[in-house]
Amino acid sequence: MSAENVFEVEHVTLRFGGVVSLNDVSLVQKRGEILAVIGPNGAGKTSLFNSLTGVYQPQEGTITFHRADGRSMSVIGKKAHRVAGAGVARTFQASRMFSALSAFDNVKIGAENHRGFGVIGAMVRGPRTRHDDRRSDEKTAELLRFVGLADRANVVAASLSYGERRRLEIARGLATEPEVLLLDEPAAGTNPSEKLDLARLIRRVRDELGVTILLIEHDMKLVMSLAERLYVLNFGSVIAEGTPAEIRANPVVIEAYLGTSAEASA
Amino acid sequence: MIRDLLQRAPMRRLLVVLGVVAVIELITGPPGSNQYPTSGFTGSYAEAASFFGIFRTQRWLVFLALALVAWGVVELWTRFGTAIRSRGSHALAGPRQMTEKRPVRVGFALVLFVLGILLPHIVNNAFWQSALVTYVAIYVLLAIGLNVVVGFAGLLDLGYVAFYAIGAYTTAWVTGALPTPPPFGHPLDAFWAIPFAVVFVVIAGVLLGAPTLRLRGDYLAIVTLGFGEIITIFANNLYGITGGSTGTKQIPHPVFHVGPIKYTWGLAPVPYYYLALGSVVLFLVIFSLLQRSRVGRAWTAIREDEVAAESLGINPLKFKVMAFAVGAASAGFAGVITASADNFLFPSSFTLVFSINILVLVILGGMGSISGVVVGAIIIQVIQAYLNHTPPSGYQQPDLYIYVGALLITMMIFRPAGLIPSRQRRREITLYEKSHEGHPDEVLLGDDV
Repeated sequence: MSAENVFEVEHVTLRFGGVVSLNDVSLVQKRGEILAVIGPNGAGKTSLFNSLTGVYQPQEGTITFHRADGRSMSVIGKKAHRVAGAGVARTFQASRMFSALSAFDNVKIGAENHRGFGVIGAMVRGPRTRHDDRRSDEKTAELLRFVGLADRANVVAASLSYGERRRLEIARGLATEPEVLLLDEPAAGTNPSEKLDLARLIRRVRDELGVTILLIEHDMKLVMSLAERLYVLNFGSVIAEGTPAEIRANPVVIEAYLGTSAEASA
Repeated sequence: MIRDLLQRAPMRRLLVVLGVVAVIELITGPPGSNQYPTSGFTGSYAEAASFFGIFRTQRWLVFLALALVAWGVVELWTRFGTAIRSRGSHALAGPRQMTEKRPVRVGFALVLFVLGILLPHIVNNAFWQSALVTYVAIYVLLAIGLNVVVGFAGLLDLGYVAFYAIGAYTTAWVTGALPTPPPFGHPLDAFWAIPFAVVFVVIAGVLLGAPTLRLRGDYLAIVTLGFGEIITIFANNLYGITGGSTGTKQIPHPVFHVGPIKYTWGLAPVPYYYLALGSVVLFLVIFSLLQRSRVGRAWTAIREDEVAAESLGINPLKFKVMAFAVGAASAGFAGVITASADNFLFPSSFTLVFSINILVLVILGGMGSISGVVVGAIIIQVIQAYLNHTPPSGYQQPDLYIYVGALLITMMIFRPAGLIPSRQRRREITLYEKSHEGHPDEVLLGDDV
C-alpha cells in the first residue's frame, strides 16, 4: 500500500551521455524508517539522491513521493524547489552552507515560506508578514536548540566546526518542515565523537519529529548501527537489500566491496 | 650586491613607486603632435614646471620629489599600518556599534535627507546645481537599482542601460515626441510618463529575465550585454517608431497637475533635483526594506549557493526575475527624469560604456551595500563633474577612464569589497580567497569504507 510508503522508485535509469549512472533502480522507503543506501565510490548513490530531489531528471522509470495527507507527487520532471516545497529536504555531500551568514540566518532562510507573497507583501511589514517573520524566528530558535547549536546562533557558518556545520545543515533542512530528510554522507569529515552525536541526532529526528530518514554513508559502523534497512548499489544497480545483519552476511555485497571480481558483478 | 639590494622589500617598493610615478608623469604630460610625435614623451619629463609655486624646475624633479614622499608614506604604513589600523578599529568600535542601532540610523538618514534638500542652496552655482541632477542624482538612482541585481541577487548585468533607455523612450512616447502616436491618442504630461515607464521597464525586466536567468555567471553577463545592444539598435533603426538616430528634441518639461495643484518644471535645474532626490529617497526606502525582508534573504541564499537555496524550496528563477524587475524600476525613473529635463534623447547616449560606468559605481561603492553604493556614486560623479567643469591643463574627457581604472585596480587590491562594504559581501570575498589558498575545508572529505 502506498500510504505507508514515502518513496516508491520504479525502474529508474539515469544516463549522462553514454554513462549509465543509475540502471533500472527500484526501491521503496517506508514511512518513518531509517533507510540507508551504501555502495562503493561511483556506485550512483548521490545520483539517486539528486534524482529523488529533482536535481537530475532520469530518462526512464517513475519516482513517486507520497505525502502523509494522502497526496502523491511524481518527482521526475519537477523542479528541485517544487520537490523541496512538497516535503523532501536534503543535505549535501560537501556541506553547502550559506557560509557568510550566521547559523541563525541559515536556518531561518529554510524556515521561511518562499511562496505566496510578492515584492510589496514582503516590503510592507503588515500583520501577516510580521506574524510569519516571528514564526520563522521561533522555529529557527527551536531547531537550533534541537540540534544543539543554540549558543552558536550568531556565529558565521564558515567559522563553525565541521561537525557543527553538519548539524546546522540538518537543522536547515528540518526548517522546511519535511516529511523525509535525505542525508548525503552526514558524517564525512567528522571525528569519532562527533559521529556518535550525529547518529544520536539522526535517530532523534526520526523519533521526536517523526521525519523519515534516507541516508548515504560510507562509515560502515555508523550505517550498521543506525539504519533499519539498507540498499546496496554498485555500478548504478541495486545488488542487495535487507537488514544490516543480512547485508553483512551477503556474499554479493562482500564481493562488491572487496572487489575480488568486480568485472563479473558488473 | 645589487641583487641583494633589490631583493629587500623597501627597495622593491621604491621601484614600484618610481614606476607608478613615471606612468603618472606620462599621463599628465603634454600631448604629442604629428610633427613631433615624441614631444608628448619627452615633454612629460623634461618640460619646465612649477614646484608647488615655490620655484620653477623640471617636471621629472617635481615627480621625483613626490615619489620619495609617497615612498616614505608607504614605508611608514608597512611598518606601523597594522598597529594604526587595529587601534583605529578599537576606537571605531563604539561608534560602529552606535550606527547599528535603529534610531541612530534613522536619525542619520534624516540629517542626510535635510542636507540633500538644502544642498542646491548651499552650492548656489548654476553649473553645480545642474550637475547635481545630471551627474549625481541620476547616477545614484541608477547605481542603487543595479545594486539590487548585482549586489543583492549576485547577477552580473551588463545591459542595465537598456532599462534607462526604455524609461527615456517611454517618456518621449507618452508625451507625443516620437513618430508613434502616444497612448490613448493624445499626449500626456511628462510627469505621467513615470507610471508608464515603471510598468514598461518591469515588463522588460521580466521578458529579459524569464528566459535568460536560467543561465549563470558569465553566460548571463553576455546575454544581458546583448540585450543592452539590442535596445540601442532598435532605437537607432526603427525610424517609424523611435525617430532613428536623431532621436527627438521635443520632449516637454513635466507638469504635475491634479485638481487645483499645478506645478510646472521648467529650465531651472533645482526642481529636477528635488524630483530626482524624491525618487532616490523612495527607492532607497524600497530597496532597504526589500533587503531586510524574506525576499532579500532569498536573494542572499541564491547568491551564496543556488543549489542549496533551491533545496530549501526557493525558486531561483522567480527571485532572480524579481531582482531584475525591481532593479529596473529605478532605471525607468532615471530615464523619465533625464529625458524630460533634457527635452531630447539620442540612441547614441545608451551605450555599453554607460552600463559599465554604472557597474563601476556599484563595485567601487561596495556591492550589496546601499550606503556604499550611494557614497561611491556621489564621489565618482562629483569628481567627474569637477574634471569636466574645470579641467586641469592637458586633461581631456576620456582621461577620466584612466583615473577611474587606476582607482578600480587599487580598490580591488586593497579594499576588494568596496568603499563601504556590506558585511556579508566582505565575508564572502574573504572566504573565497581562503578557499583558493587551499583552505583546510577542501581537504576534509570523508574517509572511504
